[in-house]
Amino acid sequence: MHAMSTMAMAGKGSCPLITIQPSRGLIDEKFQITVKNLLPGQAVTLHSLTQSEDSDFWEAFGHYVSDGKGTVKVAEDVSLGGSYDGLEPMGLLWSMKPAPGSRPGLRFRKKDVNTPLVMRIYVYKGHMRDGFNAESALACAVTERSYMAPGVRRTEISQDGVLGTLFVPPGPGPFPAVLDMWGGGGGLVEYRSALLASHGFVSLALEYFSSRTMGNASEKNPLTGNEYFEAAFIILKEHPQVASEWVALLGLSFGTSVALGMAVYSSVIQPSCVVCISGSHVQPVKESISGVFAEFGKNVHKTRYDENNYVIWRDLLLPIPTDPNKKVDLGRIKCPLLLIVGEDDQNWPAAESAEDMERMMETAGNRHLLTTLSYPGAGHLIEPPYSPHVRFSNFMLLQEKKKVVVLWGGETKLHSYAQEDSWQKILAFLEQHLYHNHDTTPQ
Amino acid sequence: MYGVWEGLSQSIHACTLPRFKKTSGIMGAVRNKSAQSTAPLLTATPSRALVDQPIEIGIQHLPPDKPFTVRSRLHSEDGELWEAFSHYRSDQKGTVILSRDQSLGGSYSGLEPMGLFWSLQPVGVEGLRLRKKYVETPFTVEVSVLSDHVRSSDSPVGCHVGQGLEEGAVLAAVNVERWYMAPGVRRVEVREQGLVGTLFLPAGPGPFPAVLDMWGMGGGLSEYRAALLASHGFVTLALAYCGHEELPGPLHTVNVGEQYFETAMGQLDRHPQVCTGRVGVLGLCFGGYLALRIAMEMPNISPRCVVGISGPGGLGINMTRDQTNDFLKENQKLFRFDEQGNVIFRGITMPSNVPPNYKLKVESLRCPLQLIAAEDDQCCAAIECIDEIEERLGAVGKSGLLTRIQYPGAGHLIEPPYTPSVRVSLFHTYPKKLMALWGGELQPHSVAQEDAWNRTLGFLDHHLRTD
Repeated sequence: MHAMSTMAMAGKGSCPLITIQPSRGLIDEKFQITVKNLLPGQAVTLHSLTQSEDSDFWEAFGHYVSDGKGTVKVAEDVSLGGSYDGLEPMGLLWSMKPAPGSRPGLRFRKKDVNTPLVMRIYVYKGHMRDGFNAESALACAVTERSYMAPGVRRTEISQDGVLGTLFVPPGPGPFPAVLDMWGGGGGLVEYRSALLASHGFVSLALEYFSSRTMGNASEKNPLTGNEYFEAAFIILKEHPQVASEWVALLGLSFGTSVALGMAVYSSVIQPSCVVCISGSHVQPVKESISGVFAEFGKNVHKTRYDENNYVIWRDLLLPIPTDPNKKVDLGRIKCPLLLIVGEDDQNWPAAESAEDMERMMETAGNRHLLTTLSYPGAGHLIEPPYSPHVRFSNFMLLQEKKKVVVLWGGETKLHSYAQEDSWQKILAFLEQHLYHNHDTTPQ
Repeated sequence: MYGVWEGLSQSIHACTLPRFKKTSGIMGAVRNKSAQSTAPLLTATPSRALVDQPIEIGIQHLPPDKPFTVRSRLHSEDGELWEAFSHYRSDQKGTVILSRDQSLGGSYSGLEPMGLFWSLQPVGVEGLRLRKKYVETPFTVEVSVLSDHVRSSDSPVGCHVGQGLEEGAVLAAVNVERWYMAPGVRRVEVREQGLVGTLFLPAGPGPFPAVLDMWGMGGGLSEYRAALLASHGFVTLALAYCGHEELPGPLHTVNVGEQYFETAMGQLDRHPQVCTGRVGVLGLCFGGYLALRIAMEMPNISPRCVVGISGPGGLGINMTRDQTNDFLKENQKLFRFDEQGNVIFRGITMPSNVPPNYKLKVESLRCPLQLIAAEDDQCCAAIECIDEIEERLGAVGKSGLLTRIQYPGAGHLIEPPYTPSVRVSLFHTYPKKLMALWGGELQPHSVAQEDAWNRTLGFLDHHLRTD
């Protein structure tokens, strides 16, 4: 720790200082980064660095020039280049990519939501693109970005055959609730539910399509049938801290298929509203969920490959069928529906599906329930901000036990804008439909 | 770390009346519209913050134009409950926003966005002072909203001890963490060359400006202000000089001499991550006296600037390095006591009570000095001391070195902002239990804490960081 190079600087002039406000926050909260006490008009590079749970390093950087007082304010100043450019207060987070030399095909996902993401931001002299060495930085600050607000309670659920993790906000409640479903990658992903609870919703991150829930992947296995999702919904509805009439469905990718199928056809699941991200209504409607998944598998010959041999799966559901048995009848949905679409989604035909859903609802007369947010340049994985974007990543095919590289799509800056905007709109949509529609007079 | 707030959450459950009945989940039944409503939404942003950062607290989805109480609760590290409450009225949209709305009364009134933090008072126990011992963990404050305007029951006159709130229905609650250490700050125990202290280093290679941080004659080693300074980019050494078992001699006397402070300043100045020549001193009460003494009478060390808070320019007691003494025993004639028997120390620092050879050689000041004093300081005659220092500096043409700031209505213990203050607390248990009167009224004292901290950070920044 005896940095001899910095001692040479010690006598010379002032000590630059970088601050991050707030230094601790939720992952979806903005921060302000300020660098002071530089020389006026000094070229500097801001470099962010974090280490994932798999020990990979992710980094981003931006080139700035200080003003006449020797100050850089990332929220007000323009990045002249780097992993992001322009006026981007959060660019040092969302433009992160795996550090040079990393294993290929990585995706940034926090598994342990009890601990924060720790990010260090360094200031370097000049406009650098590589060769960052912490020992030679002018200044450094550290920030912690959490997925769980203080007081949020996390409980592992294994009840009525349902597997998942429940997040409950602090306080007595009762709270509205969200059944939170990810996609065909399977397993249990908790961070979106943890964030939802941090915003005042009881949220159940549901595990399905994992080795635990699929067992022998038999259609007769009750764990992968419709009853599984209905049981999950009931668990939320009947939770003592949940206002039972105010439960929503939120799904991404295959989670959308589940959400739409259940919302329309289940007599048990009657959500107050539904949010569908990057998904489709195309599915054989008489099948169980695992039957639906199997049906998609029959179209595997429609898989395309890009110039890097990355897998493009969006054609598996195209063209959008006209046969009503092959898609959910959106004309029968009774609650508000929010669709989030990435126009560069290479994994699911979300845009085409959204158009078709709108047509169905227009014909049926319930178009007023639909809101569609379509984002140019956004890919498939529209996640909470400010998660780093990846255009492709490794993907494990569960049944074949084979690893492929899947093309998700999206251009980083536009995709990150979509994440930030859609998350705000999702929270506002949930708040509007779950917190507003009732008599608020206490008894 | 999360055990504290989990316990709080459970205590909310225990005391909440189940006011909302659930409808039964009969499958296939027609949806029943007369079901329970959701609770109001209480938000505090950021929910994790440094102690000196203001936060935004708001409540939405309340019934419009109705009375509500906002309450804060904190358990100290000793398990004592501190509490504050305040009365508001929701607007036509059913919201209460603490940075916008006036409190109609309670532990504070008026527009006070951070009132729930600085007006916290101990419940049912006398003589407490809230001081964080373990700075690597936060204080957790539970902020809740209750229906109606509820109050604490009658408190004894002359003391701010609340007896606990009647339970209005708790409608919503969140937990807020208040930290003394920013992420990346490192804490290092210092036990070299006879020193007893804790060093706090900001993140990064540095080099950084540095601060020597000292408290008063209560003794021991308080780290929280030093941790906060490091969170603002200063290498900070919290230094113990009396009342610590690892220091030589009896606990209740000062047994270290000038050499001790020279060693501390030297260690800071020569630390590989400190900019040589950019070391300042910050002290409160007797720590303020020591800061001045370092600046005026120790020729071997040159602080670049000094901040003294509520500190004397001399003491009517013998504090030379060659003699230990029991200042309480020797100087009882200079103390007074109020009606409750709380000791008022200010006589021993009144310049007129201090023999001239016990006063600091003010004229020898060589660096910028910021002196902060409270007009209701009952422990130290800080204002009178500043008056004399100002006069003596003026006489030798050194007025330009002095910045003086004084606060009406504030008491002796000017601490980091948005933290609770008390007018009286336990000072000593040896030789018998003694409560000291610090002075100050809650609201003006909190104003003083906020302003003094900003002024102190600005002063240190200006003199230590820039050219």
